[in-house]
Amino acid sequence: MNKAAPIPRPIGDGERPSPGRWTQGALPDNVRLGPNTVVTDDLAFKRFHSKAVDALIIGANCTMDGVHFDLGLNGRMVIGDYCYFTNAVLLCELEVRIGNYVVIGWNTTISDTDFHPLAPAERIADAIACSPLGKGKLRPQVLKKAVIIEDDVWIGPNVTILKGTRIGRGAWIEAGSVVTRDVPPMARLLGNPAQVIGQIE
Amino acid sequence: MSVRRTLAWDWYPGTIPENVVIDETAYVETTFSFFLFRGQLPGAVKYGRGASTYLGTMFDVGPQGRVELGEYALVHGARIICDSEVIIGDYALISWNVVFMDTYRLPFDSRQRRKELELVPGRASRMAFANVTATPIRVESNVWIGFDTCVLPGVTIGEGSVVGAKSVVTESVPPFTVVAGNPARVIRELKRTDDGRAGD
Repeated sequence: MNKAAPIPRPIGDGERPSPGRWTQGALPDNVRLGPNTVVTDDLAFKRFHSKAVDALIIGANCTMDGVHFDLGLNGRMVIGDYCYFTNAVLLCELEVRIGNYVVIGWNTTISDTDFHPLAPAERIADAIACSPLGKGKLRPQVLKKAVIIEDDVWIGPNVTILKGTRIGRGAWIEAGSVVTRDVPPMARLLGNPAQVIGQIE
Repeated sequence: MSVRRTLAWDWYPGTIPENVVIDETAYVETTFSFFLFRGQLPGAVKYGRGASTYLGTMFDVGPQGRVELGEYALVHGARIICDSEVIIGDYALISWNVVFMDTYRLPFDSRQRRKELELVPGRASRMAFANVTATPIRVESNVWIGFDTCVLPGVTIGEGSVVGAKSVVTESVPPFTVVAGNPARVIRELKRTDDGRAGD
């Protein structure tokens, strides 16, 4: 495990102006990056709360530009090789597994949790537990289901992927889609809720 | 042309690229909007009279891309992913987190996509440049686009039309029409008033 290794600064060669917003901070101890993987943005680990061992493992040659890794206390996330994410928000309370060669577009959100209980009474208890007065109070159970994204999946900008979904190999999720259920391999999806509109050859 | 290339009010220490043409009455909130700009054409971005772009706007314009903002066009925060043309007409109102993409930037074929993704880590810029088709987007005059909307490649939005918030526009929209939804569907039509503007 790389202890507090500085996150590489990929920019500054004149191809793109150095914006002064690349992450200067240290990686959390339970995060592992593969060789030639870069993570940018000061806010990447702003909401990283996981205490799990190897909570976040990212493979080799990945570009994580402006991605927010918002892992809850027990959240675990694995990302494969050659992935390319732009300003995605990854919310993980349980488990998110992402394969190789996965592309995620700008402002896309992936979540493996409902955040709060559905039942009204439990939600009051949750609001209290989450409030400044809620110190020491236990939060009620919230539904969590792992999200699995297989190899070669392309996800466009402004997409939302909800808990418990498995996106099959090579699927193409169009911009703005809201994915609420499993996606077969090589399918092309669009809409809210996302529907299959075709196949990728 | 000796236009000032920095903005006195800018929070970001950037400059306006030389091939961006900004009318003297136009307003640019921040040069951060050009952070991803790689346009090579002369006049790769043009701001018309009284046009304005605000904080969330990002010109993700490739070498052959061209973006035009018409007179009085107001772009609150569009992500403009452009490798061919994105033309926004006069009096257009574009809300926040709107995506205009005239290209998917990466090939549909997963084997070809892998090849491109294997090249990306070798580039200092970490950008994808795959040679995929781009088809122009046109937003005609007097169009209003609600927040979080995505406009897909090749779409034309006709004069005076309204696109509801969080819509995904997959096909062209006729003039003076209200569309909404994901995918966007026609909700109703607007009357064209005598002075040529849309009205009820």
